[in-house]
Amino acid sequence: MDLKFTRGSRNFALAMILIGIMALFAMRLFYIQVIRHDYYVSQADTQQIKPFTLFAKRGEIYTYDNGSPEKFVMNETVYTAWVDPTQATDRQAIVDALNKIAGGNTRKNFAQYIDKKNTRHQVLATKVSRKQAELLKAENIRGLGFDAVSQRVYPEGQLASQVLGFVDNEGNGKYGFEQANDDELKGKDGLLKTVTDVRAVPLTIGAKNINKPAQDGKNYVLSLDRYIQARVEKSLADGISRSGATSASAIVMDPQTGRVMAMANFPSYDPTLLATVTDPALFNNDVVSRPYEPGSDIKTFTVATGIDKGVITPETTYNNTDSVRIEDITITNASKGKTGLRTMQYALDWSLNTGMVDIAKRLGNGDGISRSARDTMYEYFHDRFRLGRVTDIELANEAEGTVVSPDKTEGNAVRYSNMAFGQGMDATMMQVAAGFSGVINGGIYRTPTVIAGSIDDKGVYRDAQARESFPGIITPASSATVREMVHQSHYATYKPQNEPAGYYVGGKTGTSQTIENGKYVSDQTIGTYLGFGGEVNKIPRYVVMVEISAKGKMMGGGADAKPIFNDISNWMIDYLKLQPQG
Amino acid sequence: MPKCAGVPDIFRAPTTRSRLSTIKTKTSTTMSYTRTAQFNSRRQTNWGRNQNTVAFASAVKLGPVTHTVLIALMITVLGLIYLTQATRTSSFDYTASDIQTKIDELAAQKKDLEVDNARLMAVKEVQSSSVAKTMTTPSDVRYVTE
Repeated sequence: MDLKFTRGSRNFALAMILIGIMALFAMRLFYIQVIRHDYYVSQADTQQIKPFTLFAKRGEIYTYDNGSPEKFVMNETVYTAWVDPTQATDRQAIVDALNKIAGGNTRKNFAQYIDKKNTRHQVLATKVSRKQAELLKAENIRGLGFDAVSQRVYPEGQLASQVLGFVDNEGNGKYGFEQANDDELKGKDGLLKTVTDVRAVPLTIGAKNINKPAQDGKNYVLSLDRYIQARVEKSLADGISRSGATSASAIVMDPQTGRVMAMANFPSYDPTLLATVTDPALFNNDVVSRPYEPGSDIKTFTVATGIDKGVITPETTYNNTDSVRIEDITITNASKGKTGLRTMQYALDWSLNTGMVDIAKRLGNGDGISRSARDTMYEYFHDRFRLGRVTDIELANEAEGTVVSPDKTEGNAVRYSNMAFGQGMDATMMQVAAGFSGVINGGIYRTPTVIAGSIDDKGVYRDAQARESFPGIITPASSATVREMVHQSHYATYKPQNEPAGYYVGGKTGTSQTIENGKYVSDQTIGTYLGFGGEVNKIPRYVVMVEISAKGKMMGGGADAKPIFNDISNWMIDYLKLQPQG
Repeated sequence: MPKCAGVPDIFRAPTTRSRLSTIKTKTSTTMSYTRTAQFNSRRQTNWGRNQNTVAFASAVKLGPVTHTVLIALMITVLGLIYLTQATRTSSFDYTASDIQTKIDELAAQKKDLEVDNARLMAVKEVQSSSVAKTMTTPSDVRYVTE
């Protein structure tokens, strides 16, 4: 049969109409699928592909307890319980469940927030633990929701809180180690961009999936030792209780490596109770952030300079008249009556300012504090012992301090005569302890550090790269001489209490005047003690510096700071299992 | 029928006589059957050397409608297979998602235990433990050197 449309017939017309409609469809499809291809693909992607942020875990912080890393700051997921008042149909069920399961975490009068029907989100409880959240979820209460929040956990509570710093609500490190190493601790968030189903469950289908894994933050192992830190904080608290002081600080470091083993201040704060801290000054770590006039501790540096330059020995004598005139000022001793021909060892033992000024004179031409004497002192104090310079320790808000250059007008003979016994300059305890470590360890300045190493992804401990060291700040022979002088000085005045025999311990007192409104005040002094300890005929194993003060009180280095030093030092001897001689 | 030496019976085409006898049998008996297969000698059509001379040809003939239906069925089955496999991939995603949730839950539990452990091992906790309270300072300490 020959099938043909007869031109002009109804069938022909119908066929033409159908062909025309089909052509319209084809054109429309061509327009959508070819010409507007990119537009519709992007529309589909917007609906089907969703980005998910893969949050990086903040690195944890460990201590280094006797050579073993132990967790010190951890992360914990807690929940914020909230309600959508428009969806909450059973008010009493919410109240009962929260009171029963998370009673200690609820907001005050939280029930009132359930009644705010013109809102969609009201927080009812914060820091709800995972177990509590699971129990609440099991109640299956309509309108009750939870947001997971990661927070820092401090198993040791207040211990070393000013060294650590804290993490704010936005996840940023504040103060201390957390702030100084925020970028490394934070890590980098990752991204998962994938096709999802209607419930937003990611599906792996699709070539457009992007999976950029999160890089978790670095797990640091601090050089702090929990047990030493706890002991130092206890010793400071005991010292304050004994002397009636209001604040105290201490640092314990290893002079052979520059590693800080403990660093503490009193008063301090509890990082788990941040909201209760009313004085932001409590967040400061005074050991690195507060420069002060170091006072007589600096006499060990002056003696080291004199010995290293060969202008004195411990037996070198000078005529002590209890005062000395430098240009238009008179410098006097705090300990009077020790007049006559005295050795430099004696001047150090009794902390005679005149003896130190005599050394400063000998560094020049012996007549006054000449420019060459000032240049030498500046070279040793600033360039070699690195006083008045940031140490670059890995802690936030480190202060620089001040050692005035002789090039400046203020760097005159009067200032330098004062600097010989620790006045007219500012330094932090960190700078003094690090410089002193270099003086007594054989003459190597080791950049101080609070980082011992890190823990990698597999949980393996790796030692940190050694920080820069500066050998030859004084010769080993000079170092040994100074070490012995400081050892002798330790026993000259304020005999150490309960110190076991057979060890090599040394130290120097410091009693610094304080400046208020640009003037020295007569009713307030800061007591310090700077010393070391170890085995006989060996490089010391620890350096301890203690500072104690109170508003309107005269705190003495020998009377108030030295007992704290002794307490720490005696304990360190046992803790480090040092071998006695004899 | 005489047998040709070396050629099995199965490859032999039935003769005219044998066909006739079969027909006779069919008409003379009540137990009958209908052959559904025919064996045609290729000699009758295209015969070549080294080729089987007998070919199987089905008596069932499929019409164009059946072909169309069959093709439609095949397309449907193939489509179903494709859909099944595609859905299966998605179902793996859900399984993976569930497993990941379980891993996260277990990791959270592990973390909680680690935190509890660290709290119990805190210096203050250890110092205030009953074991620590019974400890005393040694009265005599002696050191040995290796």
